[in-house]
Amino acid sequence: MGIVLAIPFMLSFDPYYISIFIPAIILGAVSIAWNLLAGICGQVSFGHAAFFGIGAYASAILVMKADWSPYFAILAAGLCGALSSLIIGLPAFRLRGAYFALLILGFAEVMKLLAMNLTWLTEGSQGIFNIPSLPPIQLGGLNLEFFISRTTNYYVASFLMFVIYLAVYFLRWSNTGLAMAAVHGNEDTAAGIGVPVVRTKAIALAVSALCTSMMGAFYAHYIRFLSPDSAFDAYWSVMPIVGSLFGGMTTIIGPMAGALVITSVDEFLFKRLFETGHKMFFGLLLVLVIVWAPSGLLGNRIRKTAHGAEE
Amino acid sequence: MISLASIAQSFLSGLAEGVDYSLYCLGLAFVFGIMRIINLAHGEFLVLGGYVAYWLLVIWGVNPILAMPVAAATAGGTAFLSYRIFLQRIRTTSDLNTLILTFGLSVFLANLFIECWTADIRNIGVDWLEHPVALYGIYMSVGEIFTLVISLVAVFSLHFFLTRSKTGLAIRVTAIDRDAAGLAGINVNRVDLMAFSIGGVLAGLSGPLLGMVSHISPGAGLAVTIKAFILTVLAGVGSLLGLVVAGMILGVGEALTVTFTNASYRELFGFTLFLMILLIRPRGLFGKGL
Repeated sequence: MGIVLAIPFMLSFDPYYISIFIPAIILGAVSIAWNLLAGICGQVSFGHAAFFGIGAYASAILVMKADWSPYFAILAAGLCGALSSLIIGLPAFRLRGAYFALLILGFAEVMKLLAMNLTWLTEGSQGIFNIPSLPPIQLGGLNLEFFISRTTNYYVASFLMFVIYLAVYFLRWSNTGLAMAAVHGNEDTAAGIGVPVVRTKAIALAVSALCTSMMGAFYAHYIRFLSPDSAFDAYWSVMPIVGSLFGGMTTIIGPMAGALVITSVDEFLFKRLFETGHKMFFGLLLVLVIVWAPSGLLGNRIRKTAHGAEE
Repeated sequence: MISLASIAQSFLSGLAEGVDYSLYCLGLAFVFGIMRIINLAHGEFLVLGGYVAYWLLVIWGVNPILAMPVAAATAGGTAFLSYRIFLQRIRTTSDLNTLILTFGLSVFLANLFIECWTADIRNIGVDWLEHPVALYGIYMSVGEIFTLVISLVAVFSLHFFLTRSKTGLAIRVTAIDRDAAGLAGINVNRVDLMAFSIGGVLAGLSGPLLGMVSHISPGAGLAVTIKAFILTVLAGVGSLLGLVVAGMILGVGEALTVTFTNASYRELFGFTLFLMILLIRPRGLFGKGL
C-alpha cells in the first residue's frame, strides 16, 4: 500500500506516467474483488468485464440522462452490477462444476451485444462522449479537482482500492468469509456442517460484482468516453485472473500487487516488443503460472512462513 | 409481414447451420465427456484450422477441401503439444486449474493470431461453393450442403469409433473410471493424450468449414467455445448423437430469431436457452445425469 502512495512521487507527477498507472490501480481493485470470488470462495469468473461494463454504463447513463450526481451514480452503478450478478449466479450456483464459469463467459458477450444494440440507451457502437468527470470536492483547505488533475484521480482510485481491500479483508474474516473458505475447500463438507452453500456463493459474487461495477463507474468518469468495446473489453475479464494468479490467489493483497506488476511490465516491455499482439503474454503467463507456480508471487512466501510457524 | 415461405427458408437454413454447429462443438463435447476437461481453447484450435485452410488457398491456391486434413493435423498437433507440455502436469489437480490453463491457451492463441495475421475478418471464398441449388423453391448453396454432409459423417464416425472399436472401448472405460481402467491394463495417460488430440483434430477439421460458410477472425474462437459449451449442455454430457439434435434446435432458434426480430439478437437466443436448460433440465436433453 505504501508503494501505491509513493508511485506518483517516484514518477515526479509526470501526467503521462500517472495516466498509465490509474488504469493499473483500477485493475488492482477489480483483481481484489475478483479474487474474493475465486481465491476465497473458489468460483472462477471468466467474465468480470460484464460487471465492469454494466457499472460504467449505468453510471454514465444515470448522470447524463437522469441528471444524477456522479457520486450517487457510482453507488447506484455498484448496486446494478450486484443485481445483475444474481441473475446468472442463482441458476448457476445450484449446479456443480464449471457451469458458473462458462455461463458468465457468455454473459459478458451478451452484455456487450446489448450495449451495442440498445441504441436508445447506450448510443450503440458509436459510444457515449463527454461523460462529466467527478465534481470537485472541498476538503478543508484541500481542493480536489478531477477534470484536469491526474494526480487527484490517481489518489481517489487508490482510495477506492483501499476501501475495497478493507471490505474484502473484513468480509474474509467474518463468519460469511469463513463459510466461503469452507465452500472453497469442499462443498459437501461445508453443506454438512450447515453452511448455506448457494447463499454464500451468491454473497461472494454480489460483493465482487458490486466492487467491480463501482470501479467501472469510476473509470467511466475518469476516461469520459465509453463504447461497448472499451467498457466490456475482455481485458477486464482476463487481467484480474492474470494479476490474481501471478500475485497469489490465497492472499488478499496478492492480486493487487500482481495486477500492478503485470501492467507495468506490459506497459514498459511487452507493448514495445509486440505492439498488436502484446496480450498473448498474458495468456502465456497464465499457463506458466498455473503449471509451475500455482501459489503465485506472494502466496508462496506466506505459505512458507506459515509452515515455519507450525514447525 | 413475414411470409410462410421465408419462415420455411429460415427454418431450413437454420437446420443446416445447426448440423454444422454440431461439428463445431464436437471436439469440445468429446473432450468434456471423456476427460471432464472443458477446453476453453477449443474455439482457437478451430480458428487455427480455418487460418491454415485460408492461407493454403491464398498462397498456393489449394482447394479448401484438400486443405482440411492439413488443418486438422495442425490443430491436432497443437492440441497434442498443449496437452503434453502443460495439461498433463496438472491433469489430476483441481478442475479449476485446467479451466484456467485452457483459458490462458485461448488468450495466447487469439493474440498470436492477431500478431501474425492482423485482426482482419477472412472468408474462404470459392466460387463453386456459392453455387445455389433450388429444392422446391428453397435455396441452399453447394457449400452449405457440403458442410452438412461432412458434419454428419464426422459425428457418426466418431460415435461408431467410440462404440465399435477397441480403442473406443478403452476411451469409454477410462471415462467411467480412471483407476479401474488403469488396473485393467489401459494406459490412461495415453488415452487422455489421444482424446485431447482427437478433440484438436475435430476442431481443426471444422475450421475450414466455418471459414467457408461464414468467416474467421482472431476473436471468433470465443464465440465458438461458448456455443459449443451451450450445445454440449443442451445435448447432455456424453451424448454425441444428441449434439446433432441440440445443434438443430439452436440453429433453427437463431434463424427464427433473426427472421422475427433483429439479426443482432441472434446470440441472445443461445444464452437464454442456456439459462433455461440450467434452470429446468441441467442434465440436458439426452444426458444421463451428472
